Amino acid sequence: MSNTDKPDTNLTGNASADNPADLAGAYALNALNADETAEYERYLARSEQARIEAAELSDTAVALGLAVAPVQPSSALKANLMAQIASTPQLAPLAAPATPTTVDPARPVETAATTDAPAAVTPIGTTTPSGPAATAGDAPAATPSSASAPGALPSAGSGSAGSASERAQRRWFQRPAGYLVAAAAAVAIFAGGTFTGQALFGGSADQSAKQAASLAEINAAADSQRASTETAGGQEATLVWSGELGLSAIIVEDLPALGDDEDYQLWYIGEGGPVAAGTFDSDGSGTVWRVLDGTMSAGDAVGVTVEPAGGSDQPTSDPIVAIQS
Amino acid sequence: MAFGELYDQIAPRVLGLVKRVLIDHAQSEEVTQEIFLEIWQTASRYESQRGGASTWIMTMAHRRAIDRIRSSQAGRDRDTKIGIRDLAVPYDHVAETVEVKIEHERVEKAMSRLTELQRQAVSLSYFSGFSHREVADHLHIPLGTVKTRLRDGLIRLRDELGVAS
Repeated sequence: MSNTDKPDTNLTGNASADNPADLAGAYALNALNADETAEYERYLARSEQARIEAAELSDTAVALGLAVAPVQPSSALKANLMAQIASTPQLAPLAAPATPTTVDPARPVETAATTDAPAAVTPIGTTTPSGPAATAGDAPAATPSSASAPGALPSAGSGSAGSASERAQRRWFQRPAGYLVAAAAAVAIFAGGTFTGQALFGGSADQSAKQAASLAEINAAADSQRASTETAGGQEATLVWSGELGLSAIIVEDLPALGDDEDYQLWYIGEGGPVAAGTFDSDGSGTVWRVLDGTMSAGDAVGVTVEPAGGSDQPTSDPIVAIQS
Repeated sequence: MAFGELYDQIAPRVLGLVKRVLIDHAQSEEVTQEIFLEIWQTASRYESQRGGASTWIMTMAHRRAIDRIRSSQAGRDRDTKIGIRDLAVPYDHVAETVEVKIEHERVEKAMSRLTELQRQAVSLSYFSGFSHREVADHLHIPLGTVKTRLRDGLIRLRDELGVAS
């Protein structure tokens, strides 16, 4: 090829009658529509040589992308993302590697996160500026157990009154760690990521921003871990924490809203008994999260009780959930 | 590497590319968040793929930016904005870091080895997000010609940049 434009050999403009190999460039540049893409991928499946070319041209396109000047994202983007992933399970590895009909790693996962649905990941108490943040949408529901830790707390109300699990739950404050099962995070290629988030407490926007920053910090910590269980009402609850930071946050799905005279209250439960760690409320749907006040000590469990509005000095009711860190 | 670290390292690259294509900043952040959510969800399926994580991520980033253009009002909003800038110029940012500057110069040099028509077609597709049919309409040339230019142009770039399997 010279630097002068060579005569164009194909003047018909007639797409599918042509050699499918001609689509290699347009494919690598994402310049094909869905039908054309499918047509080209059928061709790729048949031709090793075409797969090599497609891979090389795709990498060439990446070089163009890497030459674009970076743009620093807003801090809100990271906080929203970190909150969002807390409630988004990671997909399991594919059991059997797909046959190499596609050379493009980004293409086979089209279904995952392309929903345009608006997200419910904004902390309560902040005004939502035309909330972008696509939610995980339907993805999380698909694999509910894959990201759940095995340490399910026996739920109150199940089984007969006075069952061992209920008795155990009543003793929760005295014996925080006795029956709670710690769960390790099983996170694929990322050692530490985690967390979710929508609602909080009725704080100011400033408080919410601080909460979001703390949550991002916990998620980003090298020793970030998570454990999940169910609340007494069957909602999924997740604790994320970093021992290094001494911080933790709880995330609950679809936690029922309380009346004005009640709040949810968080507790750190260690050897010295429960220590109040802040209150919050829920609007009844979506993901609620709250970074706990105070400092977490190694081995602390985290519990949530329903308390009179404003919170109590000591728990006055059974926990709706407790999670061992 | 923790997910947060990965994000810190590559999010500016992702947003830079997405914004280059979409123009609109708010939409670009939105798409960037979707991309990282997808990375999070599908990370376990990444492992055996060729190329580094950044290749995987940037490939996905470009595709999601294009998806956004093709799927919504975003495309029409963008058309309005894009009309006021020079379509043929592939870069309009000043590179901020040494690393990016070097890559930028390398790519710019490689781009200079294309014919003007190849460069135009590649730029319109990759940076402006035109489909090959839109490139054909825009340049008033047959689709087959566009296909040839895109393929020959990328092959030339591949050779200039030393990209090989």
